[in-house]
Amino acid sequence: MQGIVIPISMVPGNSAIHRMNPLPKLLWTFGILALSFSTRNIAVLGIAFAIGLLLVFYSRITSAYLRVALILFPISLTLITLQSIAPAFPRPWTTIAAFGPFNIYQEGIYSGISLLLRIMAMTTWAMVTIMTSHPSDIFTSLKKIGMPYVLNFILVMTLQLIPILQNEFGTVLNAQKSRAMKGSGFGAILPSMVPVFVGAIERVQQLSISLESRAFGSTGQKSSFRQVRMAFSDYFVMALGFVTTGLATYWVIIDKSLDWSKSMTFSPIFAVSLVLSATIGFLVFVIFAIRAALSA
Amino acid sequence: MSEKKPVIEFKDVTFWHGGGNEKPAIKNINLKIYEGDYVALLGLNGAGKTTLQLCINGVIPNSIMGDFEGEVIVYGKDTYDTPVREMAKMVGMVFDNPEFQLSQMSVAEEIALGMESLGFSYDEMVETITEVLDIVGLQGLEERSPFGLSGGQQQRLSIAAALAMEPKILVMDEPTSNVDPIGKEEIFSVAAQLNREKNMTVIMAEHEVEVMAAYANIVIVMHEGEILLNGTPEEVFSNVELIQKLGLRLPQVTEYAHRLNQLNLASIKKPYPVTLNSAIERYKDIL
Ligand SMILES: Nc1ncnc2c1ncn2[C@@H]1O[C@H](COP(=O)(O)OP(=O)(O)O)[C@@H](O)[C@H]1O
Ligand SMILES: [Mg+2]
Repeated sequence: MQGIVIPISMVPGNSAIHRMNPLPKLLWTFGILALSFSTRNIAVLGIAFAIGLLLVFYSRITSAYLRVALILFPISLTLITLQSIAPAFPRPWTTIAAFGPFNIYQEGIYSGISLLLRIMAMTTWAMVTIMTSHPSDIFTSLKKIGMPYVLNFILVMTLQLIPILQNEFGTVLNAQKSRAMKGSGFGAILPSMVPVFVGAIERVQQLSISLESRAFGSTGQKSSFRQVRMAFSDYFVMALGFVTTGLATYWVIIDKSLDWSKSMTFSPIFAVSLVLSATIGFLVFVIFAIRAALSA
Repeated sequence: MSEKKPVIEFKDVTFWHGGGNEKPAIKNINLKIYEGDYVALLGLNGAGKTTLQLCINGVIPNSIMGDFEGEVIVYGKDTYDTPVREMAKMVGMVFDNPEFQLSQMSVAEEIALGMESLGFSYDEMVETITEVLDIVGLQGLEERSPFGLSGGQQQRLSIAAALAMEPKILVMDEPTSNVDPIGKEEIFSVAAQLNREKNMTVIMAEHEVEVMAAYANIVIVMHEGEILLNGTPEEVFSNVELIQKLGLRLPQVTEYAHRLNQLNLASIKKPYPVTLNSAIERYKDIL
């Protein structure tokens, strides 16, 4: 009865980051988010990613982190492939190599690397926050700073519903298999979605009656069972995060010398091998994923 | 009991579910339930048990679409113009599918949900959680995920969540239909204990006639939206032919008593015994 696993959930631990209030962690994460979206500078994004990785090691969530990163990273590799031939940059583009019918552009390689680093930096910081905080504590903190009660509930419920629906989906799939129906491929997945979907609707209807019967959604004074306290150190880390990420974001926006898209050049050999390995990396991942999905 | 005021009163209640249903789900319901009653609601699927129960805390007519006629008065409050969250302080609801009633990350938070809505203080919540977990026998599971519990435990958790709001009336809709036999027994005994020790009014829709005959002091038989029989278990189950015609089960001892009469092997007077103990009493007289 306890096979339920939320894919990205808390990894119990006792590191200083675990013990911290979720709010400073969230603030840092949003700060890094803002910084990452404000620059394409490879060095800045790379440093943000590297610090994120250090926090992963420090809080001892490495294996849980890797389980997610090993899916996310290969998928993000497509950014390098796609960007190299069609950069998200204003023309003119500088051709550094031809690759069959495609040209590989200098701006594309730069853009691909920086987008990859941006995604890895943001998700790494986000995972540190999520994997070191009890979800209820995160939600309680958000409620405290004014997130609507109902929105909060929707988040909690969604988090609960995902593994349950996954389970039900698996059950239905198995049932179909044992009735000697085709148990793999899209032909089997589609019909099994229907009972899961119908079940989900029924569940939500029943739940809403049950919640209402427990006075949920009352307009009066509410209280919170989960107690999350802000210690002095939490305020300090929060202020530090605000200043650091704020100043860094400001700096990357105003300092035009950080635009390395033209100045940073790549050799044709490097460009081609990077694009090739990114593409192969992604394809290998896809093959593994399909085989895992079909054999499950 | 007759001089007491009823705590629940249905006056000529009829309800049509929305969506153009011609036939009402419940029809001309007149019913009085008194404090401390343990009411068993019997009836086939579709008889209207759930619909009737949802009228008690005002989910019908306030939250479920449809046409409502008549009046339901609960502890002096007309459900028609009392918000459900107000009714929730008096009426606790437990439904058939335990898993569908749960939503929180931990058992403790599941129980706290209703109390948070009513603004209980933290200390009150902690105290109440321990208390209700004790009542339903789930001590020590505060931090567990509600979804990792067995069906019987989940159902007892939903009872605990209802109890946390200190209701005077506990409405249970087929609370054991998704629960294994041991889990069933636990739920019945929790309900009986609350009824006995806290004088809580219990209204339970349930197919287990044997158990209901033993615990309930009132049995109501519904059919196609109407109340056909309403009385003590002995009175109600003595209508053997009618109950059998409806396709409902009877307590075994009642059925035997009736059969003995039919075969002229004995002449057992109505009301028939409904539990083994009362049967033994009766047969002592005969022998
Ligand atoms: N949400 C609904 N919408 C439309 N009709 C409903 C709904 N719920 C119940 N009914 C109908 O109302 C009648 C009574 O159902 P219900 O109260 O659920 O009976 P019971 O609980 O005894 O099985 C049935 O005919 C059923 O089909
Ligand atoms: Mg029902």
